[in-house]
Amino acid sequence: MRNQSNDVILRMENIVKCYGSLIANDNVSLHLNRGEILAVIGENGAGKTTLMKVLYGLEHPDKGDIYLNEKKIQIHNAAQAIANGIGMVQQHFMLFDPFTVTENIVYGKEPKKGLFFDLKKANQTISELSRKFDLPLNPTTKIQGMPVGLRQRVEILKVLYQNADIIVFDEPTAVLTPQEVHELLNTMKRLAEAGKSIIIVTHKLNEVMEVADRAMVMRLGKHVAYRNIADTSIEELSFLMVGRHLVETEIPEISPGKDILRITDLCLTRDGAVPILDHISIHVNAGEIVGIAGVSGNGQSDLVQCIFGLQKADSGQILVNGKNVFNCPVKEVRHSGMAMIPEDRFIWGSAAQASIAETAIMGHYEKPSFSKKGFLNIRTIREFAGKLVKEFSVKADSIAQKTSSLSGGNAQKLIVAREIRQNTPILIACEPTRGIDIGAIQFVHDCLVEKRSEGAAVLLVSSELSEILKLSDRIYVIYEGKINGEFKRGNVSEEELGLLMVGSKKL
Amino acid sequence: MNINANYLAVVFNSTIRMMTPILFVGLGSALCNRVFIFNIGLEGTMLTGAFAAIVANYYTGSIFISLLAAMISAMIVSWIAGIFMVKFKGAMLVVGVSINMLISGLTTFLMQIIFGVKGAYVSTDLVPLHKIDVSMLKQWPILQTMFGSLTYLDFFAFILAIILYFFLFRTVTGFRMRSVGINKVAAQSLGINADRLQIGTVAFSGLLSGIGGCLLTMGGVTMFAQNITAGRGYIAMAAATLGAAHPLGVVAGSAFFGFAQSMANMLQNSSISSQLTMALPYLATILALAIYNFAQIRRHAL
Ligand SMILES: Nc1ncnc2c1ncn2[C@@H]1O[C@H](COP(=O)(O)OP(=O)(O)OP(=O)(O)O)[C@@H](O)[C@H]1O
Ligand SMILES: [Mg+2]
Repeated sequence: MRNQSNDVILRMENIVKCYGSLIANDNVSLHLNRGEILAVIGENGAGKTTLMKVLYGLEHPDKGDIYLNEKKIQIHNAAQAIANGIGMVQQHFMLFDPFTVTENIVYGKEPKKGLFFDLKKANQTISELSRKFDLPLNPTTKIQGMPVGLRQRVEILKVLYQNADIIVFDEPTAVLTPQEVHELLNTMKRLAEAGKSIIIVTHKLNEVMEVADRAMVMRLGKHVAYRNIADTSIEELSFLMVGRHLVETEIPEISPGKDILRITDLCLTRDGAVPILDHISIHVNAGEIVGIAGVSGNGQSDLVQCIFGLQKADSGQILVNGKNVFNCPVKEVRHSGMAMIPEDRFIWGSAAQASIAETAIMGHYEKPSFSKKGFLNIRTIREFAGKLVKEFSVKADSIAQKTSSLSGGNAQKLIVAREIRQNTPILIACEPTRGIDIGAIQFVHDCLVEKRSEGAAVLLVSSELSEILKLSDRIYVIYEGKINGEFKRGNVSEEELGLLMVGSKKL
Repeated sequence: MNINANYLAVVFNSTIRMMTPILFVGLGSALCNRVFIFNIGLEGTMLTGAFAAIVANYYTGSIFISLLAAMISAMIVSWIAGIFMVKFKGAMLVVGVSINMLISGLTTFLMQIIFGVKGAYVSTDLVPLHKIDVSMLKQWPILQTMFGSLTYLDFFAFILAIILYFFLFRTVTGFRMRSVGINKVAAQSLGINADRLQIGTVAFSGLLSGIGGCLLTMGGVTMFAQNITAGRGYIAMAAATLGAAHPLGVVAGSAFFGFAQSMANMLQNSSISSQLTMALPYLATILALAIYNFAQIRRHAL
């Protein structure tokens, strides 16, 4: 246990924030002690991000006060939050890709020499800072092409450079590999030991148990409970979050049918040099969930994009029910009977400005039920969208609302719902439960299993090993663009998979 | 051989004179591109500057006040356009086109009221921009031809490109400007007033286009004609695009169009139909942009 004093550094009192008729924060109060790690947990749309945005000055509360060191403060914008020693690593990184690490970190507080930006001094400062907090980074590399874990490190250093005493992390681990998660949690502990006070918003209760001192549970815009981590359990926390006990997904035994999706010798190289996909051969049978396990960045994104026609592969064969769709346009691939849940809900899955109803048919608007002779059938679309929203409990005011106004997890649920409900014989699901709460994860898992039991072929790509192990009838391990092992359900342990994923030879 | 060299010197000289008005506006356009503003209104603000310069000159007879009037009037018009684009989130194309049409009509109308003429106003009473004295180059007639009858503003255009280069890439303000163009949301979340930076940039680009306009009417022949800019604002935008919104790149882009313009002028004395020669700079614009975009697409496809 850290030696945390009980002096309160931050208090938020009776915060109320409404979006139209929706109450995102309903009289929420929070306090944070110096040097502690507080976890804020709750279902999708519970209002966690909203509360953090209020703290960081990105949203203005309708009511409520904020006290820093027992002194009332006003935070109208991010600059004021920063000046008050409050820093935030946001759910979506705020970085400038073409700029270097240093340029990104010193942004807004650049060292000057006369009229000019003193880049040399800046680089030096950042080197020192990265050494001091043991967060290794090369100050002069560009952000472009950096893995997510490093980008996040840039964000953390940025907050430290701004001299923040309070650091807010909003779902920091959602996009990290297990190794990166491990490093991040250690970093947070180190920072807390160095006297920083930390708030972490997350859906992963095992992380909460590992890193936090206290947890605050939110539900439907209200805070419902505080717990000391030492006196609670995952079960209790999840019960507090969703208000019911979760039952394990049941996976009925069925015997798979014929191979609906068969990929042979798929190859892809970039710039004619390193192979990204190296003679990948996999197949998925009807009535089967096939998992692809791998540390992200080992080719799984490219594999999916090649299958779906978003990227052109060099050679190989992709058979859908015996028909070759290799390097066919996306539309043709979709028509052949494939649906996909993309790994990034905002880049691939939706358009921020589109309404929920529009997002609900994106990619499927040509289906006869949605449009005839180029005219949209608004009524069916609305009905369909309404049904999805209800069935998947997407928390929204109305289906006319913009997709960008959904909370992260709710946007994900909407896209998952859309792709699952297309009743295609093949579903490719990439990180289908990224950023959604445990209740919703359960629901999505149930849907995937149901789809498979109805005879569809499901290809599941996930960096959550537990998810792969739980759902997959068969597992392929991918490492550096090669298949590094294949297992039937129950024939492999998490440890073995973990080893194969980092390149150890077949056991 | 000597005739040839002399001919080249004349082309060089005329290229410079044709390119510098474009260069001023092009630099403004490049700055706008850097903050992610597509400022099509530069055609109109350039015309504003051109007209204000002639009016101020007419009343005061001072070229200095004339230049100042061009800068300030163009800046104000541009500043208003910037507010509409950024604060009120008006579609940039619509705001820009409105400005251009408004100014085009307004200057034609005011020309009739103030000078009482239609079409064009020429007067010997007007005081042109000072020319740089090249008599010290007497021994080298070629050099004298190359740099003869250039104004101080022509010279300053190149200096300005270098200054802006340092400004954009070495100063904190320049750094922040570029950042707003890359990711405005991020800039705002880091406490930067991105709106103000964008509006400021649009206003400043207007000021530059005003200088360009002044150079157009007060540089060679001192005259104002209806829509005298004749699309130079658009050409300058193309120059900025070709120069990848880099100040030194804009110099190259403007030189290309300056050269095309000067070729067109020269060919007017030949047997080729004048309709065709006059179209040359515009054809060059389209061709250059097409090739540039094609190359970009090729590069991204790789
Ligand atoms: N700009 C907005 N306009 C309208 N409604 C909004 C807006 N931002 C958030 N909301 C709504 O406020 C509620 C709370 O959203 P918030 O993002 O705080 O949820 P969250 O707890 O962070 O959820 P998640 O775990 O999914 O990220 C949601 O129902 C969301 O739809
Ligand atoms: Mg959130």
